[in-house]
Amino acid sequence: DARVSCHRHYRSRPTHGIGKFKYLLPKEAPKKRRVQMKAVNVGTDHKYGDINIQMTSYDMCLVEHFARHVHRLCNRLSIRVNESYAMPTKTNEVLLLEERGSKMQLDAILTTHQRVVQICGVSATFAPILLEIIQSNQPEGVDLLVKEHTEADFKLRLKTRPELEELLAQMS
Amino acid sequence: ARAQPKKKKKVDVKREQAQKERMKKKIRKLEKAAQEMIPIEDFVTPPKYLESHRVRSLPPLSSEETERRVLLLKKWSLYKQKQDEAEKKAIQTLIASQQAALKELRLESEELYQAAIKRDEGLFPFERDGPNYTPPLPDYDPPEGKCIDITKVYTQ
Repeated sequence: DARVSCHRHYRSRPTHGIGKFKYLLPKEAPKKRRVQMKAVNVGTDHKYGDINIQMTSYDMCLVEHFARHVHRLCNRLSIRVNESYAMPTKTNEVLLLEERGSKMQLDAILTTHQRVVQICGVSATFAPILLEIIQSNQPEGVDLLVKEHTEADFKLRLKTRPELEELLAQMS
Repeated sequence: ARAQPKKKKKVDVKREQAQKERMKKKIRKLEKAAQEMIPIEDFVTPPKYLESHRVRSLPPLSSEETERRVLLLKKWSLYKQKQDEAEKKAIQTLIASQQAALKELRLESEELYQAAIKRDEGLFPFERDGPNYTPPLPDYDPPEGKCIDITKVYTQ
């Protein structure tokens, strides 16, 4: 592929964009498959399996920037990144008890955002170093959680199917 | 007196079987449909921000101001570059010192080296709250209240 070898773009030259052809092809609708990858756990050897780095905060921009930073860090350290996705936002309504006579409750609406970067195949000697680096760059208000990827984590992203669950409960 | 209980048994068994089959078919149909992911509200701009009258008109900048900004940008990019390079260097030294320590350990004893190379099972559920601008006040009495979770529950 000739374009892969050339890094620069030469945007002022008339030959800019030479070799591009994907825009001419008909657009394919991306087919999404819900089948998740099996967790890679190569025993006590030196690699860890799928690890989820979950970042939660009330501030969306901070969380997104931090997730981007972690992703680019992993790219730079040639760690394989399986996926980098967002978990659904949680909204909390905070009500305070006013103590000035009438016991009315004040409102504030807080949204909690969570971003996940899924990594695969970190070596056992490198994992603590990676954790150190991520911790040192952690911004204020962003909570970090690093854990193994499980099916339960995957199922949190999917919609609930109450009809199916009802029928299954009736069956058994 | 003899015929009636027999009819009941047959009819009940048949009905139950038919019901079970119908339920199984429904379950199979529902399970065949691909599971959908919950749409993420972060990625959907609320319509009130897409209104056309929300356009900011900024005043034109003087040449000194633009120059000042460009020079500031250059200084900032240089500072960030130095910071980034220092970080990369720190990572390299960390890795190098770890490798050196493992080499020495190997020379000392092979068993300990093998044990050191294995993955740490206790590392995993690692949690750390972000640093705060100010530490928590020791005698703070927070106002009472409650938190209600009002996230929209999506069903398929």
